Amino acid sequence: MQAQVEQWLKEGKVDIFIGYKKVDGHVMPHFFTKENIDEVKDLVAGQAHYSLEKVATKVAAEHPDMKIGILLARDCNQQALHVLYVWNQLNPNQIQTLEAFEASSDSEQPEVSAPYKQQMGLGKSMAPKDMEAFDHAERFSRWMYEFSKCLKCYGCRNICPVCFCKECSLEHKDLVRAGNLPPEIPIFHLVRAVHMAGRCIDCGLCEEACPSDIPLRLLYRKVDEIVQDVFDYETGTSPDQSPFSVLGEKVVLEPIPINE
Amino acid sequence: MDYKFVPSVCPYCGTGCGVLFEVIDGKIVGTLPNKTHPVNEGKLCIKGWNMHEYVNSFMRLKQPLVKTFGRFIKTEWDEAIQVTADRFKKIIDKHGPDSVGVLVSAKITNEENYLAQKFARAVIGTNNVDHCARL
Ligand code: SF4
Ligand code: SF4
Ligand code: SF4
Repeated sequence: MQAQVEQWLKEGKVDIFIGYKKVDGHVMPHFFTKENIDEVKDLVAGQAHYSLEKVATKVAAEHPDMKIGILLARDCNQQALHVLYVWNQLNPNQIQTLEAFEASSDSEQPEVSAPYKQQMGLGKSMAPKDMEAFDHAERFSRWMYEFSKCLKCYGCRNICPVCFCKECSLEHKDLVRAGNLPPEIPIFHLVRAVHMAGRCIDCGLCEEACPSDIPLRLLYRKVDEIVQDVFDYETGTSPDQSPFSVLGEKVVLEPIPINE
Repeated sequence: MDYKFVPSVCPYCGTGCGVLFEVIDGKIVGTLPNKTHPVNEGKLCIKGWNMHEYVNSFMRLKQPLVKTFGRFIKTEWDEAIQVTADRFKKIIDKHGPDSVGVLVSAKITNEENYLAQKFARAVIGTNNVDHCARL
């Protein structure tokens, strides 16, 4: 892995390589360049869950011509890149990837919820079908219990590799006035859930960043299920156009009939 | 071109969450939670998430200001500290040390809090030490 990166930097195949380095015992994202090529020996894959793709979009925004190398430490990294290509946030010709899978997004032990949460809310390890075992009213009240814990840190949005809108509708000055409270529950979560259609690649970073233990992944998994049923589209599996990119020459929006 | 991640601690409250600053060409452009920090384990509140904004704010005070004749005047640290010391001395001479109180904070370190109470007791000569959480 290190030898490959060193070679890429030396040959100029990439101008910058985004990977991980251990600093004071913490595995942290690190930029490797030709100037600090000695550091490449400290490159690690590690179990860290950072969105290097999102970091790359920031680099690309500042320096569009830069050739960027990215470490793929988890299986969802590639999917996130696909989504970013689809939505023109990164140019696939500028990106080199290096696979070093160590961690899987699903490697964590399923979490057992505390008794109160079991009674009132929804567990993080639930699948959409477990949630649907509750009738509508019950499901709604359980979701509202979960949403009511939200402290509006917006961490779920900030950390998400595929949340990249320049003007987030949760902060748009015409929709949310400065000095007013942020959007009420459940609007905030549902707006984000809808925006994740065809984008969320189920990396789980939002749920990890949520201080309030809200099963966000479950919500977006349900959205993804609908996207698969209605549009027959598997998010993040290819860099080709998504049924949700409505700009461009070709009409790609072809919903398949829903059989109820 | 100079890109780096700089580990730091959130200065907003006493929790002390670990953060990583994203620094591009010498400017902090983003804040990320430190995923392996024992305090916050990869989570932040909205203040921590937006720390880079105040660092770069044009309204940020970068120099001490001394209030003279009702107006704040920009000055240097040495002068500001001298003015503060002179005015403290005047107040203490006139009204006694108990006319001064020292308020400390959860946002500063243990050692700084210790120094602040030492300053209150040994230099000023008062036991008026309290904490911002009780204001
Ligand atoms: S799982 Fe969460 S953080 Fe990951 S892509 Fe989906 S919404 Fe974004
Ligand atoms: S991360 Fe959790 S608490 Fe923070 S805004 Fe998102 S849902 Fe709310
Ligand atoms: S991120 Fe929030 S909770 Fe953590 S130290 Fe900063 S202000 Fe306190």
